[in-house]
Amino acid sequence: MKIVTLFFKILFLSKSFSQVSPSSTFEVLDGNYSNLQGQEQNGSILTQPKRSSLVETVDRAGLDLRNSDVGVRVGAAKLLGKYRITKSSFLLVGALDDQSALVRRAAVVSLAEHFSNGFYIYDKPLVEKIYSKLADPDVEVRREVSTMIPRLISGLMRGGVEVVEINGRRVYRSVPSSLRPDLLTMTLQAFLDEDAIVRQNTLKYHNYLRVPLPLQTLEKLLNDDDLGVLLTALERISTNASHGSIVRLIQNLSSHKDKGIRMKVIAVARDANRYHPGYRSTLRKMTQDTDSEVLSMAAVELARFGEKVQPSVIEKIKDYLLSVDGMSTQVTTILYAVSALGVDGVAVYRALTEHTSSKIRSIAWQRYISTSNGWDQVSLWMPALKDRDKGVRKAIINSLGGRTIKFSEAELSLLVESKFSDVRIFAAQNLLNADLETVSSLGFDLLIDEDTIVRSTTIRAMSTMRVPGWVKVMTRSLLDSDYVIQRAAMDGLLEDRQKGVPALIEYLSKNPQSRISNLAIIELNKIGIQL
Amino acid sequence: MKFFFSILILSIGQLFLLSANEKRLDKDGSIRIVQLLRQENSVRRYPDALPSLLKMLNEQTHAKFDTDPLFIDTLTDERLFENPILYVNCDEQPNLEFPKEERDALRRYMELGGFVYLDAGIKASFLGADLGHSYAAWEERPEVRDLFSLVFPEKTFIPLGRDHDLFRTFFRGLPSNKDLKIQSNQKRLPETVLTFVEREKWPQATYSFVGLKVKGRLACVASPICAMGWGRDEFGAWIPPISFRIRESADNFDDDLKLASFSGSTFEVTREDGLKDIIYSETGQRPLWVKEPNGKWRIFKYYSGEEISNYAHAFYSRLGMNVFLYALLN
Repeated sequence: MKIVTLFFKILFLSKSFSQVSPSSTFEVLDGNYSNLQGQEQNGSILTQPKRSSLVETVDRAGLDLRNSDVGVRVGAAKLLGKYRITKSSFLLVGALDDQSALVRRAAVVSLAEHFSNGFYIYDKPLVEKIYSKLADPDVEVRREVSTMIPRLISGLMRGGVEVVEINGRRVYRSVPSSLRPDLLTMTLQAFLDEDAIVRQNTLKYHNYLRVPLPLQTLEKLLNDDDLGVLLTALERISTNASHGSIVRLIQNLSSHKDKGIRMKVIAVARDANRYHPGYRSTLRKMTQDTDSEVLSMAAVELARFGEKVQPSVIEKIKDYLLSVDGMSTQVTTILYAVSALGVDGVAVYRALTEHTSSKIRSIAWQRYISTSNGWDQVSLWMPALKDRDKGVRKAIINSLGGRTIKFSEAELSLLVESKFSDVRIFAAQNLLNADLETVSSLGFDLLIDEDTIVRSTTIRAMSTMRVPGWVKVMTRSLLDSDYVIQRAAMDGLLEDRQKGVPALIEYLSKNPQSRISNLAIIELNKIGIQL
Repeated sequence: MKFFFSILILSIGQLFLLSANEKRLDKDGSIRIVQLLRQENSVRRYPDALPSLLKMLNEQTHAKFDTDPLFIDTLTDERLFENPILYVNCDEQPNLEFPKEERDALRRYMELGGFVYLDAGIKASFLGADLGHSYAAWEERPEVRDLFSLVFPEKTFIPLGRDHDLFRTFFRGLPSNKDLKIQSNQKRLPETVLTFVEREKWPQATYSFVGLKVKGRLACVASPICAMGWGRDEFGAWIPPISFRIRESADNFDDDLKLASFSGSTFEVTREDGLKDIIYSETGQRPLWVKEPNGKWRIFKYYSGEEISNYAHAFYSRLGMNVFLYALLN
């Protein structure tokens, strides 16, 4: 049977190369190219040779690829990586069969350079040729090709239609969007390549290639000595997660010497829990791990499943969190997940309010108060406002914002006496919720505060509440040298037309040149009072 | 040896803190790094990097760092003076123009013994706005130079020699297979890459650093971005992936690259020896090749992959830990 393969692709394959750089841009000499301009040497002007065009450069490199000298061939392969045109790609793909591993390495690195610069090859035979080098005898070539797999996919898995001539008849037939059988076999072998990077990359990308991971291969990979391969293999168990052999292997890995692997086992056991009850028993076993971080993570995952965690384990979680030096991704996960321990978690959060890390204290305080339903209990959160870190105090004050808190005079007094201005500002804001007697008693302490915002907040609270003598306080405050205070006093007086506005007018008549006077006149005009 | 050295470092670090803020150490017992972030909602560059590095420091040395950096948005923040080390990722700042009060505070901080680490304080001009690349230029970026010409008009940054103690404070040498946790017979890197790394890119685990001395003490260092190499996920895997830019030569490059097709611009970059490399780069593309002062032409090749990334991370982390431990000694 005579078969002449015309092999043109009707669908996608017509566009072999997505991008072709305009050749004209390569032919222009750069204006900043000063070092190639004429240079004076020994009194004479040397004329620099003109750069060749893009086509000339690539043609020359193509010739060099056929040179008998390996060094010349390597140089040509490296140079072609800089020119993203179809011809360079053809030449580089051809160089992948060079007998010298150095040339093949240079060629595959240059092809990778094309791909990483967005110049993809979509011509299936060419891409298949590149991919076939996953079985190259040279490990560097294999590594490079395995790294490139995600970029080869679009060309490699491309379907279409080809036209073949059989006994003089043109026959259209489909090209499947799957891996060629020999390449499939090669991929299956690459799972167990002697090089760990190739194994890891093949494992990482086999789904893109639609190559299933055989159970026996997965079992071998879950026994791999290389940590990178092992971590990747653990991510790939889902399709085989219900097999007893995999469950046993995961159980074995739960006591792996590397902590990262054990942490990964926890994540895997959590996600695979629905496939087999063995995964949950793995998690239970891991609550006895020698490392408190691993133990804590396993315990909180169990708690999230609704399992009761033993008090001794909870104690260890508490000890672990108290011993950490600050927040990290893992600590954050465990810290928030303590809520899943329910009532038992409250004590953990309580203990953590005395942690050395301010971030942990901040979260612990908020969680402790929330899980204790304690936002209405002043005594519960009052100690948080004594925290030495402003961030902790701010977190609590922000959480309290919008809540109506009825302070006793003693409680408010504690806030007024705080050495932190943010707490005193909070006290001043809460004067609005206090009774008149308390405001009268504590307000004046706040009026002489060293912090401007405390004073201005107090002035605003006193004017709003119309405490006895408030007009006098406002008019005195108008004489303050601080504009923020003057402004608060003016706003207070403007709110009361009976007593406040006359007092403001009187102030203006006596102090027409004051900083606040112009603004006060404008504000009075707005409410219909002309001066 | 490392054990005793660790204790020494911790002791000296604590002494510094005791003098700076006795009360704080009594309560916390750990050293807190101050990180400048002038705009809270700005785009963060490697936000998990510093906490991850500090965690590694705690795990691998006997120093005790608080893994939560203390963020400040202004150099006049009084909390700066309570802590001995200020970390600034220059790529995270909207600009490096500070008002006089902040410049004065920075000067005072350094004069009082504070140490400033300017990550991404070195950045080759041809990188432009590309924050994903570093380049080992041997001079501070212009914005840093402008800032410090106002902070310390009488001083200039000087390159740190390859023999500087900073590069061997705790970790010495480039990562071995054991450090990388890979089998002893596994190739760490492609041969050309390894050769370049060992001989030129990071010889004896050094890198392009410039520093500024105050009262005879190295009080500020600037480096190309290193934070990209500090992140680990919860399973111990490195994030994000890092690629290598390598200079490679070939028999005929001195002739061929001189004549090869090129459209783009050239950029001068200062080398370790003070001479200039001429970088050939096309707009929007990675640099193509370089003409070195000795007349040699070399091509830039780009390598990526697990082994490249793991190696780079291991190096940057060891370097970062050396910097912070050195800061404690000073």
